[in-house]
Amino acid sequence: MRIFTALAATIALFGGCAGPPVDDRIFPYRSEIRDLPNGLRAIVVDTGRPDIVALYTVVQVGSRNEVEPGRSGFAHLFEHMMFRGTERFPSEKWEEIMQEAGAQTNAYTSDDRTVYHAVFSKEDLEQILELEADRFQNLAYSEEIFRTETRAVLSEYNKSFANPFRKLDESLRDNAFEQHTYKHTTMGFIEDVEAMPEMYDYGLQFFDRYYRPEYSTVCVVGDVDFEQTFGWIEKYWGGWEHGSHQEEIPVEPVQAQAKEFTTDFHAPTLPLLVVSFQAPAYDDELVDSAALDVISFYAFGEGSELHKKLVIEDQTVDVLAPAYYDHRDPYPFSVIARVKKPEDVEAVREAILATFEELKSELVPAEKLDAVKSHLRYQFALSMDSTAAVASTMAHFIGLRRTPETINKRYRLYGAATPEEIQRTARKYFVDSRRTIGLLRNSAEGGEQ
Amino acid sequence: MRRFIPLVIAAFLTAAPGLAIETVELQNDSPLVSIRILFRTGAASDPEGKEGAAALTAAMLSRGGTQDVAYDEIVERLFPMAASVSAQTDMETIVFHGTTHIENLEEYYSTLRAMLLEPGWREDDFRRLKDEALNFLRVELSSNNEEELGKELLYLKIYEGSPYGHHSIGRAPALEALTLDDVKAFYAANYRQGNLVIGLAGGYPDGFAERVAQDFAALAEGSPAAVELAAPTRTEKLRVHIIEKDTRSTLISIGFPIDVVRGHPDWPALKLAQSYFGQHRSSKSHLYQRIREIRGMNYGDYAYIEYFPRGMYLTEPQPNLARRQQIFQIWIRPVPPENGMFALRIALYELNKLVREGISGEDFESTRRFLKKFVNLLTQTQDGELGYALDSQFYETPAFNGYIKDGLDALDVEKVNAAIAKHLRASDLDVVVITKDAAGFRRALLSGAPSTIQYASTPPEQILAEDKIIGPYPLEIGSVEIIPADTIFE
Repeated sequence: MRIFTALAATIALFGGCAGPPVDDRIFPYRSEIRDLPNGLRAIVVDTGRPDIVALYTVVQVGSRNEVEPGRSGFAHLFEHMMFRGTERFPSEKWEEIMQEAGAQTNAYTSDDRTVYHAVFSKEDLEQILELEADRFQNLAYSEEIFRTETRAVLSEYNKSFANPFRKLDESLRDNAFEQHTYKHTTMGFIEDVEAMPEMYDYGLQFFDRYYRPEYSTVCVVGDVDFEQTFGWIEKYWGGWEHGSHQEEIPVEPVQAQAKEFTTDFHAPTLPLLVVSFQAPAYDDELVDSAALDVISFYAFGEGSELHKKLVIEDQTVDVLAPAYYDHRDPYPFSVIARVKKPEDVEAVREAILATFEELKSELVPAEKLDAVKSHLRYQFALSMDSTAAVASTMAHFIGLRRTPETINKRYRLYGAATPEEIQRTARKYFVDSRRTIGLLRNSAEGGEQ
Repeated sequence: MRRFIPLVIAAFLTAAPGLAIETVELQNDSPLVSIRILFRTGAASDPEGKEGAAALTAAMLSRGGTQDVAYDEIVERLFPMAASVSAQTDMETIVFHGTTHIENLEEYYSTLRAMLLEPGWREDDFRRLKDEALNFLRVELSSNNEEELGKELLYLKIYEGSPYGHHSIGRAPALEALTLDDVKAFYAANYRQGNLVIGLAGGYPDGFAERVAQDFAALAEGSPAAVELAAPTRTEKLRVHIIEKDTRSTLISIGFPIDVVRGHPDWPALKLAQSYFGQHRSSKSHLYQRIREIRGMNYGDYAYIEYFPRGMYLTEPQPNLARRQQIFQIWIRPVPPENGMFALRIALYELNKLVREGISGEDFESTRRFLKKFVNLLTQTQDGELGYALDSQFYETPAFNGYIKDGLDALDVEKVNAAIAKHLRASDLDVVVITKDAAGFRRALLSGAPSTIQYASTPPEQILAEDKIIGPYPLEIGSVEIIPADTIFE
């Protein structure tokens, strides 16, 4: 093997080879971080792949920051507004330059971050850095354009209206959270989305608060020259002014008693069952959240005993999936099952709960954990199959910790998830008082309004 | 880190010595190995009354046990490698694909080989996968995914009576009646050496390709009989199909068959026209600009000249959906019901304008520059490059990037506009609408009354002036039918 030697060494290590690690970094690419005086962080990564460059600008603002009542969904709406141009580069001009570059551009918003990305040929890097720096500093749009864009966002909400998994997510958050803004989805409550045309002034405030260098990280990934790239970032982004807003996100209290909910869905669907426990935030120092990740694969993933029983042998369930997503603040650990027949819901629920109990009462066999750790390592290696994929994966972690080093730390923690740690973690979090169980179904009597 | 250097620059097509099996190889020094095993058969080969046999057979191979190993054990074997064997069934191709780290190549390949060549045909796998297929059609598609439903119904209507005339997963009652013997029969008839192409990419060892070809020589020789495709009949005027459904929005798909597939002399010209008019997920394209950007009517509006399923989840098309017949299609994403009729009219108005006026020299140049660079992104992963190489083999075209760049270089705006005039039209089309008030939509269609649009804020004067032209845009209605959503795949 002539390339990716660091990665190969890593995988060999986790495959069980003895001897001291030469390099245990799962993220094997040469990278460098520089912080500008205004608070902006710049990260440049060489993927060793030719010609293509990905520019990912990660702003640490998402639906988590929507603290005021009536403003749910606003971070996502604002992501749309960022495509509405500046005085120097009106949106048509921005589109034209990106088109000329053959760039693939888009953006997305999640609970914790808003990410703007473009993938293109390396010769266009300077121009695109200049173009992007301009909109983050000088965005300008009229109230008419703002109102027009709010309707595109409503349409985006509506396009997923028929998806019962979307509705289950909405209901679970609304029931599981009392205080924290994770109570609503990134799309927001429908009544807030419908009221968006009247929120022009709030948009100006939102931009002023969060579209600031101290919330932002510019990542340039691919076929790059480090010094030249940092030079361009300083040149075009260095004049961006530091802001003054201090975010205050409500803290979710520890759940005191078990909850249950039922949601009626407006259209025919198979019943969806979710069993969920209040769980910790993403961490790269404490082992708990990494141990829960390992549990999600071991106990509820495709290779699990529960999957074998419910999906392959009994065939009462056709979708069984764990859902425990990395978040900046505590977020639930969930297991979702799509049950083929309503009369089997109770038995499926019992089987899932029994699996949680078993994690607390019995030690997981070490070789099963090795299989999960091997899976996690290879999954990561297999996903790094292009410059765009490396940048996209990195953006996820930048949204959490603003450094790719967190990836290496996190994967080292997976290695530390021993059978005893798994049991300790299960006993800590899988307790009745932290639990929420929900059922979504289509009933003839009621429907979603 | 060393630069990524391909050992084999271009894909090459070989037949292993003494064997009739075609192989497409992209050997390089990556630590990942991608495998695509493609059979030139598919849902168009489903026997009459057994629609779903092709897809269910592929599912039995990719998600069922082998003669020696039960499915749950296969899952257990693949899990530590984070590898899988996925199957994609389309009308004329079935592809099994997966990527493994080279350290696991032996174990991964031996599992994949047994899955494809020594299927276990277990009754319990069959029951599970049939349930899944039925739930996909009756629940997921009919009820839970309006965008995909509309686009799929457009194909079913255009290809009514053709081998393409059912969904690639099947027809629900036919699926229900399928037996294990039916899928075994489909396998015996359609999984042959002569219609197999083996695709390999990555850092696999020398001799590996020959070994794979030798293994697959265990399949029967020869090829299945070719499926005959008659030219689809031309729709008269507008044939409108309204799906009545409890939805918050109105969704529209419009289309008609075209004679142009990859390899046709006009394909690069039509590709450029489509990209200008409605490049998938691009905010620069014409339809998107007129409908979403200026008017805020919805989330996006696109056009296609090739089948592109699952478009709501993807920013790029998936490879290995090659077909001998394609349609031109417009996809209007959900609009508020009160703007539904206007959305249909603006789409047809813009299409009519494209057909009558063509595109400008400036738009021609900028779209061409865009496409020549954009094509590199389509093949930026080795698995993507392999998929495109297999498609080039299907269409008998040179490697995709070169094919499209050379094709674009040979164009001028006159050639593009000639291709638009020759192959596109704004009349004699099928239209699929999904809406809550189907009867109201039909009345509006048949009344001939002008349509209006509700705005969140008043647009500029010239847009209002254009709206006055679009509002009464004439609709020549041939027929209107209302279809309950739960009957589509029955």
